[in-house]
Amino acid sequence: MDRFSVFSSRLVDKSENFTSGHRACQGCAEALAVRHVMKALGRDTIVAMSTGCMEIISSPLPLTAWKVPWIHNAFENSAAVISGCEAGMKAMMRKGIIPQKKINFVAMGGDGATADIGMGPLSGALERGHDMVYICYDNEAYMNTGIQRSSSTPFGASTTTSPAGKDSMGQHTQKKNMPQIAVAHDIPYVATACPSFPFDLIEKVKKAAEMPGAAYVHILSVCPTGWRIQPQDAIKYGRLAIDSCVFPLYEVVNGEYRLTYTPYRKLPVTEYLKGQGRFRHLTDKEIQLIQDKVDRDYQKILKRCEEGR
Amino acid sequence: MDEKVLMKGTDALSEAAVQAGCRCYFGYPITPQNEIPEYMSRRMEEVGGVFLQGESEIASINMVLGAAATGARAMTSSSSPGISLKQEGLSFMAALELPAVIVNINRGGPGLGNIAPSQGDYYQATRGGGHGDYRMPVYAPASVQELYDITMQTFDVADKYRTPVMILGDGMTGQIVEPIIAHEYIRPAEDLPPKDYILDGAQGRPSRIIKSLILDVREMEEHNWKLKRKYDLMKQELPQWEEFMTDDAKMTIIAYGTAARIAKGAVKRARSQGLKVGLLRPITLWPFPDEAIISVAKKSKIFLVFEMSTGQMIDDVRLAVEGRVPCEFYGRPGGIVPAPQELARIIERYWLQKEL
Repeated sequence: MDRFSVFSSRLVDKSENFTSGHRACQGCAEALAVRHVMKALGRDTIVAMSTGCMEIISSPLPLTAWKVPWIHNAFENSAAVISGCEAGMKAMMRKGIIPQKKINFVAMGGDGATADIGMGPLSGALERGHDMVYICYDNEAYMNTGIQRSSSTPFGASTTTSPAGKDSMGQHTQKKNMPQIAVAHDIPYVATACPSFPFDLIEKVKKAAEMPGAAYVHILSVCPTGWRIQPQDAIKYGRLAIDSCVFPLYEVVNGEYRLTYTPYRKLPVTEYLKGQGRFRHLTDKEIQLIQDKVDRDYQKILKRCEEGR
Repeated sequence: MDEKVLMKGTDALSEAAVQAGCRCYFGYPITPQNEIPEYMSRRMEEVGGVFLQGESEIASINMVLGAAATGARAMTSSSSPGISLKQEGLSFMAALELPAVIVNINRGGPGLGNIAPSQGDYYQATRGGGHGDYRMPVYAPASVQELYDITMQTFDVADKYRTPVMILGDGMTGQIVEPIIAHEYIRPAEDLPPKDYILDGAQGRPSRIIKSLILDVREMEEHNWKLKRKYDLMKQELPQWEEFMTDDAKMTIIAYGTAARIAKGAVKRARSQGLKVGLLRPITLWPFPDEAIISVAKKSKIFLVFEMSTGQMIDDVRLAVEGRVPCEFYGRPGGIVPAPQELARIIERYWLQKEL
């Protein structure tokens, strides 16, 4: 993003491939992320989507919010299904049954589908190197089934299966670092994004689609329902997550790290945590633990970015 | 403890499991059974048990397998698509003869289906579901009180026969709220066999082996026959059913679980119109209460099997009846829960058609 001096919203594709009228909650940043992603990908796209919020809200057949070929599959399988789509289309094009054309093969899933149950098929698809993009919409819990913890739920968050109370401080394990797991597969492109930074997100998704081979984009999607915040604050909390370096925006191109956004002033994590109902029970000591972990992780990313220069 | 309390089906099931000594629960989110892991995540902390949310259904069932191998009373729950993923674990546990309780809150299918109450998993539950030559006791409670009582009972059945046991409910039995007597766990009259197979360190005793890989075909055959003898014993000892107004019934409705609740209402309606109709409700789906079916078949002129599926239990009814009486079928698959009036109309229709 820093290589472009001017970003004008007028230059963004005006067509909507993920239309309005779907059933997402008020202030859903995940639906916004899908909208931006589909703007970036355009119409020549096949989407395989795991069960989850975005699938449920967008496809109450016969109604659908999708203007592209879209296939729904069981929770764990979107990476495997899109692998099949890609292989199938390749064969059809080779035989001349379908004309040669650049088509984006995109698998989408939530954090549960990606970091928990679908990890195996995802790893397989990345290893095989299909020409596909995997997009993880990370709202940090199983929101569709009623806010159960996932391995992407951050330390200290209260969910219905990691409830905070007298005997428990909520989620007591650290968030699984999916982008780093994707990087470890040595794929051409890995990026983190957030719909609070739409131009950055659109550019990254475009890059991911254009890069030959497998690409992985991890999108932090604020969920007002599950995070216990006001719907109008979804964009604000996305910004706070990035400005407090809880979720740094970076991309890894062929193994080289690049920070795509540097906060003007790094905020303390309390700015991000306060106001979120899922963190309201945290003590100063626990917040300090979170701050230390965020600082350590951010330093790691900075160091890797410097190495790349 | 003996006064009535208002409880939701899933809560009653979870609490009964805790009372029965279940201290290991392994779950994974899927609607409409999320209330079970949610209840357990809180309750296990209080009673010093273990609540773990696996990264998939396959992980959860295999955690149950591991816990059972250490001698713990372990449980997992899921709904139809999740139970499909658990089948590998069920087959393994049947082969390894490990006790556990598996809850299936049945929803509409096949595929992802919907989240409404359905009885489409009857075949999967009663025919094994997983691979290999095995059976598994399946209980189908029809009320919250029964859900509570049967959950306690299933842990004893699992321990007695060293087998996984399934509780087959549906969205309705799970979500319904009813007054129940949440009594304490009553130990079974006969002593449960000692857990002399568990893996807890072999110091001072010969080592034990729990395995299902048996390459020698003769040994494997013997293992299969051993399991078969166990299943035959279960067939003698386990069948449970409820009869409602069957003594003078010319027509008997056969239904289980939620469908049986509807059928009971329909039978009452038909009776008020002077039609002699009764209800036979299998509580155990495997072993199927063949004896009860046969004895009722002697009294009835026609059977009407009612299921919230396209017709699965009717096969078992026909096998038991062996042509003694004609079996008609009425089903509402896909998550529709018909009202008793609807079934009463069907009853009346058959009554007139067959000139009873």
